[in-house]
Amino acid sequence: MTRDDTIQKEPTETLDTSGMLCPLPVYKAGLALKGLEQGDVLRLVCTDPGSLADIPAFARQGGHVLLEVDDQGSTQTFLIEKGPGS
Amino acid sequence: MTATIPPRSLPVSDHAVRRFEDIRDLLPDVNNPTPLVRVRNSLVVDNVYLKLEWLNPFGSIKDRAAQYLVQGMIERGALDNRELVEASSGNTAIALAAMGAINDTKVTITIPDGVPEETKTILRMLGAEVWETPDELCPVDHPKDGAIALARSLAASEGGTRYVMADQYENPDNVKAHFETTGPEIWSQTEGQISAFFAGFGTCGTLTGTGRYLKEQNPDIRVIAIEPYAGHRLPGLKSFAEANEPGNLDRSVIDEVVKVHDDDAYAMTLRLHRRDGLMVGLSTGAIAHAIDQHDSLGDGLIVGVSPDASTKYTSYFTERLGSEGLPS
Repeated sequence: MTRDDTIQKEPTETLDTSGMLCPLPVYKAGLALKGLEQGDVLRLVCTDPGSLADIPAFARQGGHVLLEVDDQGSTQTFLIEKGPGS
Repeated sequence: MTATIPPRSLPVSDHAVRRFEDIRDLLPDVNNPTPLVRVRNSLVVDNVYLKLEWLNPFGSIKDRAAQYLVQGMIERGALDNRELVEASSGNTAIALAAMGAINDTKVTITIPDGVPEETKTILRMLGAEVWETPDELCPVDHPKDGAIALARSLAASEGGTRYVMADQYENPDNVKAHFETTGPEIWSQTEGQISAFFAGFGTCGTLTGTGRYLKEQNPDIRVIAIEPYAGHRLPGLKSFAEANEPGNLDRSVIDEVVKVHDDDAYAMTLRLHRRDGLMVGLSTGAIAHAIDQHDSLGDGLIVGVSPDASTKYTSYFTERLGSEGLPS
């Protein structure tokens, strides 16, 4: 967990980028977040280990909130809350 | 009376009467070169010729590379059951999309931010899928060429089974296209009297392939590269202060690099339109400006590449012109 949040937010949308290599998951996540409202949550599934560095940086630079990172080795799952003005 | 076209025994394109059986028969080679046209009024020196690459069938110098890239992929079987993906700011994309349309191959283009709407619309008209990509797409290692990184990741994803990348920046077929066509055309058209050749930094296929061919004919020919400054808005040109140097760049054939500001390129583009009736794009303006500023080019003919026409950049020119040319 990257944020101590007692209220678990349900994902608004899930994006599965399994098999895609960076920066493709970043690009797809950007497109998906564009279609969401501020406060909506994107559940992003990746299989590229590089996403463990890329997605947190992408969320930070885009003004989004990274709610959760779940690294299962072969699969990484991120919960990203859409921030303002993006 | 109805005119009739005489029947032909064989469907062979005839360059003499300019009747063609396939649009690809218009692709250039030494027997069907793009025109070399003298710049009569816009420049200080008068022995300058521009090679009008925008008279290629798909509108730019990139028709040459696209032809060789596609042919190479077909010969290697790389396009069998795969879609084609490429990173391009426009001209290669358009040529590849046109060839993809003819070959019934799906084409996806990753295109940098800031490419004019005209180009993106033409691509979509040709049936390509267009992915607009910010340069700094990768948030961690910042490769500066987000479109290239994205195209490479598409080609590598899904085990490489869905997409194949033409890779104009690294694929030697790009250089080969210019070594086998642009170089021989210029050598033939100038009857060996060329003393200097100017082209812009981009994928570097033109500079490396043409420069290498010309140097093999006469090592004294000067090959001069034009480079914009970082943060430029000159489509098709690359500043290696902000972009990675492509594998197709061979600096051993380049004698000199001249840097050009956007405003100088625009001013020269306008001058070429208004004094010579040459409807060239901004990269031609940059190249012609570099020629005009040069003072030691020898007594032979000077050849500059004119990669494309202004028609694909009218939104940019509309912005630059403001109210100029409108009734007040």
